[in-house]
Amino acid sequence: MAVPLSQMYTVASYVLTQKFKGVKRYPLVLMLEPLFRCNLACAGCGKIQYPDHVLDKRLTPEQCWAAAQECGAPIVSIPGGEPLIHPEMAKIVKGLVAQKRYVYLCTNAILLERKLDEYQASKYLTFSIHMDGLKDEHDLAVCRDGVYEVAVRAIREALKRGHRVTTNTTLFDDANPERVRAFFDEMMALGVEGMMISPGYSYQKAPDQQHFLKREKTRELFSKILRKPKRGWQFNQSPLFLDFLMGRRDYQCTPWGNPTYNVFGWQKPCYLLQEGYAKTFRELIETTRWHDYGTTKNEKCADCMVHCGYEASAVEDTFGSLSGFARTAKLTLLPTSR
Amino acid sequence: MTDLKHHTQAGAGSLEGRIFRPSSSAETAEAVELAFDYRGDVTLDLTSGETLTGYVFNRDHAAAEPWIEVLIPAADPDSRRIAYREILSIGFTGVDTANGKSWETWVSKKESDRLAEAARVEADARTRGHL
Repeated sequence: MAVPLSQMYTVASYVLTQKFKGVKRYPLVLMLEPLFRCNLACAGCGKIQYPDHVLDKRLTPEQCWAAAQECGAPIVSIPGGEPLIHPEMAKIVKGLVAQKRYVYLCTNAILLERKLDEYQASKYLTFSIHMDGLKDEHDLAVCRDGVYEVAVRAIREALKRGHRVTTNTTLFDDANPERVRAFFDEMMALGVEGMMISPGYSYQKAPDQQHFLKREKTRELFSKILRKPKRGWQFNQSPLFLDFLMGRRDYQCTPWGNPTYNVFGWQKPCYLLQEGYAKTFRELIETTRWHDYGTTKNEKCADCMVHCGYEASAVEDTFGSLSGFARTAKLTLLPTSR
Repeated sequence: MTDLKHHTQAGAGSLEGRIFRPSSSAETAEAVELAFDYRGDVTLDLTSGETLTGYVFNRDHAAAEPWIEVLIPAADPDSRRIAYREILSIGFTGVDTANGKSWETWVSKKESDRLAEAARVEADARTRGHL
C-alpha cells in the first residue's frame, strides 16, 4: 500500500469532519512555496521567472508554520523553487512535523545527500523527488546532464536512513508510454514508497475544439501508461485521480483543495494561476471568484488536468459517493485490477 | 494609450523596454494588467512626482479605489499599495525573465546553445552556493 494507514486515517477523518461540519470549501494539501529560487532552470517551468530581488525573498519558519495553522490542511507539500536552498528548511519542516502535518518536501535532490543529516526520519516527512523519466528524459527536462544519477544516489541514501521517499513526475503529451512504464519499474526497484504523476500545465489560447483534443490526448497517453499496471507499482495519490487521467471518471476542478501560500501571500485561485493574492487564508476563500475557474469556465483552465486541481476532486468523490468509495477501496486493495 | 516603444533586445512579444502613459482610467487598468502579467520589474511615475521601481505582484481593479501592490527591492516595508489614479506612467524597465523560456524554445535550440545555456545556469547556481 503506497500511503501508510495512519496517513489514510488522518486524511479520511479530516475530510469526514469537514463534511460533518458542512464546510463547503476545505483545503486538503497546503502548497507551501517558501522561495522561488532554484538551482535548476527547467525549460517551460513557470515558477522561477522573476527578478533577482523576488527570487531572493524567503518565507520565515514562523510564516510557514502560521500558514499551515491558519489553513489547517492535514498535508503540506513544499515545492518551490528548490526548497533545500532555503537555509532554514530543516527548521521549517521540524515545526510542521511538530504540528503533525504530513509534509512532502519536493526536491530535485541535487542538495539532498548533503542536507540529509539535518532531517530526522518520521512518518510525517516524505522526500518527494522530482523525476521526469529515465535518465535521458529527465536530464533533458531539467536541462542539465547528470541530475538523474545524482537524484538516484540521493534516493538510495535517504531510503538507507529510513526516510519515506516518493517520486513526482510531470508528463507531457509527447511522453513515450513504454519508456514511462520502464521508468516506473526502475523507481520501484529503487525502493521508493510510491510515485506521483501528473500531466503538465500549459497555458492555451487555442479555440475550444483544440482544447478538447488536448484533453483527449492526455487521457489517451495516461491510458496507455496506466492500463494493466504491474504488480509492484505503487502510486502515492488517489486511485480515482489516476482514473480521471485515463478518462474513466470526469471531475470539475477543486482549486481550493490545494491552496498556495508563498512570498506574495495566498495565491488566487490556485497553484498554477496567479490572478492576485490575499493576505489571509480566510480572505482567499471568501474573496476568490471560484465560479470563474474550471475546465468549461476559463480558457486558462481548459486543458488543465493537473493534480493540484483534481486530486482533491478525486478525494471528494471517494468520500462523497458510494461508487467513488467502492472504486477507491477496490483499487487500493487490488491495484492491478485497473 | 501612449506607448513610447523604447524597445530593447527582448524577443518579439515581450513588453521589455516599453513605456505606457495612460490617458484614461480604462487605459490605466489595461496597462496595470500588462504590468501584473509581466515577469520583470516596472518603473512607475506617480502624480506626486515620485518614481519607483519594483515588481507588480497584486492588483484589484474591482475595488472602490482600484490599486496595485508593488514589491520594492531593499525597501522596508518591502511592498507598497498604490492607487490607479496615482499612476502617470508604467515603464517595463526590468528584464523580462520569462522571455524565451518556453519548452518549445528550449527544444528548438541548437545542441551547442542548449549546452551553453545549461552551463551558464549551473555556473550561476554554483556562484550563489546552491550546488
